[in-house]
Amino acid sequence: MTALIAAQLRERRRSLLSWGLPIGVWSAFVVAIYPSVESALTKAVRSYPATLKEAFGISELSTVEQYLHAEMLSLIVPLAVGYLAVRSLASGLSGAAESGRLDVLLSAPVSRRRVVTASFCAAAVELAAVLAVSLALTLLGSLLSGANLSFPPALAGFANVWPLALLSAALGVIVTGFSLRTSVVTGSVAGVLVGMYVADLVGRLDPGLDAVRYASVFRYYGNAIENGIDPLSFLGVTAAAALLAATGAALFERRDLIS
Amino acid sequence: MPAIETERLTKYYGSHRGVEEITIAVEQGEVFGFLGPNGAGKTTTIRTLLDLLHPTSGSARIFGLDSRRDSVAIRRRLGNLPGDFGYGKLATGREAVSLLARLRNVSGLGNAVALAKRFQADLERPMGQLSRGNRQKIGLILAVFHQPELLILDEPTSGLDPLMQEEFLALVREERERGCAVFLSSHELDEVQRVCDRVGIIRDGRVVAVERVSELLEKTPHRVSVQFAEPAGIESLRGLAGVSDLEASDGRVRFKLTGAIDPVLKAIAAHTVFDLEVAHPTLEEVFLTYYQDESSDRTQNRVTGGKTE
Repeated sequence: MTALIAAQLRERRRSLLSWGLPIGVWSAFVVAIYPSVESALTKAVRSYPATLKEAFGISELSTVEQYLHAEMLSLIVPLAVGYLAVRSLASGLSGAAESGRLDVLLSAPVSRRRVVTASFCAAAVELAAVLAVSLALTLLGSLLSGANLSFPPALAGFANVWPLALLSAALGVIVTGFSLRTSVVTGSVAGVLVGMYVADLVGRLDPGLDAVRYASVFRYYGNAIENGIDPLSFLGVTAAAALLAATGAALFERRDLIS
Repeated sequence: MPAIETERLTKYYGSHRGVEEITIAVEQGEVFGFLGPNGAGKTTTIRTLLDLLHPTSGSARIFGLDSRRDSVAIRRRLGNLPGDFGYGKLATGREAVSLLARLRNVSGLGNAVALAKRFQADLERPMGQLSRGNRQKIGLILAVFHQPELLILDEPTSGLDPLMQEEFLALVREERERGCAVFLSSHELDEVQRVCDRVGIIRDGRVVAVERVSELLEKTPHRVSVQFAEPAGIESLRGLAGVSDLEASDGRVRFKLTGAIDPVLKAIAAHTVFDLEVAHPTLEEVFLTYYQDESSDRTQNRVTGGKTE
């Protein structure tokens, strides 16, 4: 298992640069400009309608943590890392099937479940590494600009993205049980993620539609950089991801692998 | 116990035919050629044996183990070269061998380095930078580096230059001497003729013949050409058993002969013969023999407006 995970991580080593670097630099930029826009932002936010602030989870923008959440962690980072998650997962399954690598791996004494588990675990490690790089660059931006971003809330904010992204990877495993085309896997999961975000947004805007939020992972995502990680949501989403991945592995085991 | 044994193995993709009722047995230490044109069902058969496809009906056993239930145990004992081998772009051959070695509990790289030297394969370059032929060499190494008991090779010489094809055929012979069974799919008739003990011919998803290569060649007509001193020589051949497609021009008579040549020799001995040529059939001609019926059927269908595949 570790050999499979290590091999996939080696294949995906460029993602640290291609994903961690841009997300980190962007976050660092957001943090770095905060001191210069702080007062203008505070005034602007006070003038926003309450429903709008509620919809986007903004209370105030009077701290750099609140600003980082509003600009990056409420939407951009979860969607981007969620998309990375399914891409990472797909590279080990549908991408491997398209390149022919899956046929080679399955010539060895390895069960399909192990291949799926290894891909899922490799995606989990890759996501953690990309989030760590992004966090490190963000903290560096804060340090250089004197924005005073605190480490514990920043860590909580970035770490809280991990279960959500893991769920995205797990949805990818489910789709792989039906299709071995990477474009189908990544496209459909990206669509589901955006749909979940919209469902959560609609539920917040209209209390009558609050029930739809329960079908959205964003309902459980919250605002960890301000409120800390909710252990129940963190572990619940992680467990749901593991369950979905296990279901996807069973589907993958039953399907034909057509070259 | 046969290395491979299938019993009415059938695979359908929805309503589309993959293979139908494939029943074959490959003995241990035997090189078995699986011959057929593209789309005949060779790769489907191989992928079903490897549990990459699940059979619609029928069964396959490898070393007596069920191809579905015991697939992991089976794969411990075999090496496989998939058709149109690929492995992604970034990984090098060494990384691929190293991973497979770990998955197979082989210490180090097994025979991979020696094989790479023999096939002049570059294990250090990322596979995305290798030509198709050089990638195929890596695929061959991955299939045999751990000295498996059974080799399943799907179009193995595809992309290899003639020298490497020779080297490959030598390797297959060595593997057979070692006791390894080899199941080799190909539409390269020459390589099958040169290396296989027996051949299965697959047509439209069905195995239409399984023969020893020598027997297969015997069943196919020899091409005979006789130069007589006088035109009357042709008459002595008419009506002889096994003689067909008789034609004559400028005193030379050409015909196809199936079966014993002795009656022909006795018949022509009554005349003055200037020259006699007997050409043994190539496997290509054998192959065409098995496909002739299909072509006739198709022609007939076109004439009658019947539905053809």
